[in-house]
Amino acid sequence: MKSPAKFWLTRIVSVVLAIVGAFAAQGAIDGMKNSFVALLFVLAGLYVTLAVSLNLINGITGQFSMGHAAFYMIGAYTAALITKLAWKSQMNPMAWVLLMIVAGAITAALAGLLVGIPSLRLRGDYLAVVTLGFGEIVKIIAKNQEVLGKAYGMNNPLKYQSIFLVVLLAILCIAVCRNLLKTAHGLSFLAVREDEIASAAMGVNLTKVKVSAFVLGSAFAGAAGALYSHGLAFVSPESFSMDMSFLIVTMVVLGGTGSITGTSIAAIVLFLIPEKLRDLSNVKMGMIVGIGIALIITVALIKRAQDHYHKSSPPKAVVVIGLTIAGIMLAAGLGAGLANIPGLAAEVAGSKLRTVLLAVTLVVLMLLRPQGIFGHHEFSWSWVQKVLGKKNVPNVEVAA
Amino acid sequence: MSEPLLKLTEATIQFGGLIAVNKVSFEIERGQLFGLIGPNGAGKTTCFNLITGVYKPTAGSILFEGKPIGGTPANKIAYKGICRTFQNIRLFGSLSALENVVVGGFLRNRSSLGSALAYFPKAISETERLKGQALELLELVDLRDVANVRSADLAYGMQRRLEIARALATKPKLLLLDEPAAGMNPQEKVELLQMVKTIREQLGVTVLLIEHDMKFVMGLCERIVVLDHGEEIAQGPPEEIRNNPKVISAYLGEAV
Repeated sequence: MKSPAKFWLTRIVSVVLAIVGAFAAQGAIDGMKNSFVALLFVLAGLYVTLAVSLNLINGITGQFSMGHAAFYMIGAYTAALITKLAWKSQMNPMAWVLLMIVAGAITAALAGLLVGIPSLRLRGDYLAVVTLGFGEIVKIIAKNQEVLGKAYGMNNPLKYQSIFLVVLLAILCIAVCRNLLKTAHGLSFLAVREDEIASAAMGVNLTKVKVSAFVLGSAFAGAAGALYSHGLAFVSPESFSMDMSFLIVTMVVLGGTGSITGTSIAAIVLFLIPEKLRDLSNVKMGMIVGIGIALIITVALIKRAQDHYHKSSPPKAVVVIGLTIAGIMLAAGLGAGLANIPGLAAEVAGSKLRTVLLAVTLVVLMLLRPQGIFGHHEFSWSWVQKVLGKKNVPNVEVAA
Repeated sequence: MSEPLLKLTEATIQFGGLIAVNKVSFEIERGQLFGLIGPNGAGKTTCFNLITGVYKPTAGSILFEGKPIGGTPANKIAYKGICRTFQNIRLFGSLSALENVVVGGFLRNRSSLGSALAYFPKAISETERLKGQALELLELVDLRDVANVRSADLAYGMQRRLEIARALATKPKLLLLDEPAAGMNPQEKVELLQMVKTIREQLGVTVLLIEHDMKFVMGLCERIVVLDHGEEIAQGPPEEIRNNPKVISAYLGEAV
C-alpha cells in the first residue's frame, strides 16, 4: 500500500478533479445555450446513475430486480412533496436541492430495505416478479393520493436544473461501485451472485450482502429522482412506468452485467439512440427491405465466424469489422437496387422507425454478444489489447 | 480424555416420511482424521449438511467445542470454525482462483462495508492481507501458478484442490471434505492423500471426510463411521471396519 500522505493526496486530487470536471460539463453545456441539449444531458446523466446503481443489485449481487424506476420515483416525489410543503423562496436553492437529494436517497433506501427483505427468500424470476409488482404498487399509490396530485402528478416549486450535481452524482455512484469491487467486500457480493449456498458455507452473511445492495442501489436511484424532480419541476406517475424499469435493466444487461463501465456506456447509448432517431429522414420501403436482408446475412455470418473460431483464423475483431463493412456495402447496394422496384418505392416516415431500430439493435446485440458489450469486464487498456488478439498481456498484478 | 471437537448425539433428520439420518452418534477428537463412509444414499452428505447448518436436526444434538450448533445459520457455523467442500464442486465460477480464496477469508475481515465503499486505507490493507493469505494457501495446494485464472476454467482436479484452499481460508478448526477424491486419477489421489496429511500437520486442522475410494479412506483415516440407510452400522479404526461383517455385507461386498 502507498504511504498515508500519498494516499490522501491522491484521494483529494481525484475529488477535486471530479468537481472540476462537473463544473466543466456545466460550463460546456451552458455555453451551447440550447435548453433541449441541456435536458438530454441531465437525463442521460441520471440514467447513468440509475443503470450503475441497478448494476450493483442485478449485475454485482445477482438479485434480479425489475422495479428500479420505483425507487427513482420515490426520490422524485419525496423531493417534490417536501419542497412544496417547506420551501421558502429566500432559501439557497443549491443547498435545498442538496438536502432534497439526501431526503430522496433516504426514503428510497427505506423502500429498498422493504424490498430487500423479501429478496432473502426469493430467487431469480420470483424476485423479478415481486420487484415488478412493487414498482406498480408505488405508481398506483401515487395515482390515488390527493397530496401527491393523483394521476396528474405534482409540480415541484423549485426548478433547479443542475448539470453540475447530475455529473457529480453519477461520478459518486460509479466511484462507490468501483471502490466496492476493489475490496474483499466486493468479492463477497460477487460470491453471492455466483453461488449462494457456497458463499453462506464460507461465512458470507447473505442477509447483510443482499440488503446492503438493495439499500445502496435504491438510495442512488432516489438521489437521482430528487435531481429529476428539481430539473423538470414536475413529476407524474406516468413518467416512471414499467417501461422505464425495463429500459434500465436493458442498459445493465447490454452493458454487461457486473461491468460498471459497460453499464455507463450502455445507459448513454440506449437513452440517446431513441432521441437521435427522432430526426430520422423518410426512407424508401425498398431501402428498409434491403437493409433488413443485409443485416440478417451479416449477423448470420458473424455468428458463424464466432461459433467456428479457430486459433489459426485472424483475430476476432478483424473478422467482425470486415464482415460489418461488407454488410454495410451489401445493405447500401441492395437497398438502392430494391428501392427502384415500383412496389417498394413508397416512403416510410423516419419517426415511425425509431422504436423498430432500437429493437433491432437489441436483438442483434443479444445474438452476437449475449454477455453484453463488455461482458464481465471493465474497460481498460490491457483489456482492449487482449480483445485485439495480443495474448501476452500481463494479468492483473498480484500483491505479493 | 479431553472434550471432543465435535460430538453428535443421536442426530436425526426427517424429510416427511423419510428418515435420512437416524440417531447417528459419533465423536471426533481434535487433530483426528475421521472418515464417514457408506453406500450411495446412506445419508453421508445429509450428515454434512446437518453439521454445517444447511439443515436443522429434527432430533438429537450436535455439539461443537461443547456448545450446541444444531440449527445455527451456515455462515455463523463457518465463523465458529467448521468449513466444508462440496461433492458437486461449488466454486465462484467467474471469479479467479485467488478471489475465490479471498472470499473464504472474508469472514475474518476487520473492515466495515462503509470503509470499503469509500475505499479507505483500512479496507485496502485488509483486502491486501486477505490476498496475501490466499496466495499462501494457493501455494499449499499447489495452485499458485493459476491464481489469476477464472476458477471455472481450471481443470477438474485443480477445482477440487481450490475448494479445499477456499475452505481453509476461513481458518476452520474442523474441515469437512465431501468426496475430495471423486473423479481423480490414481496419481492425483496419491497427491491429494499427501496434501490432506500436510494440511493437518501444518495447520492443525481436524478433518472429517466422506469418500468412496476405500483405499483412500483406509490409508488416511484414523477412525471411521459407516452409515447405511441413515443408520450407523459400525464405528472404529480402519482394520476393524475392514473386517466387520455388517460393513462387508452392506457396502464393501468383499474384503479389501
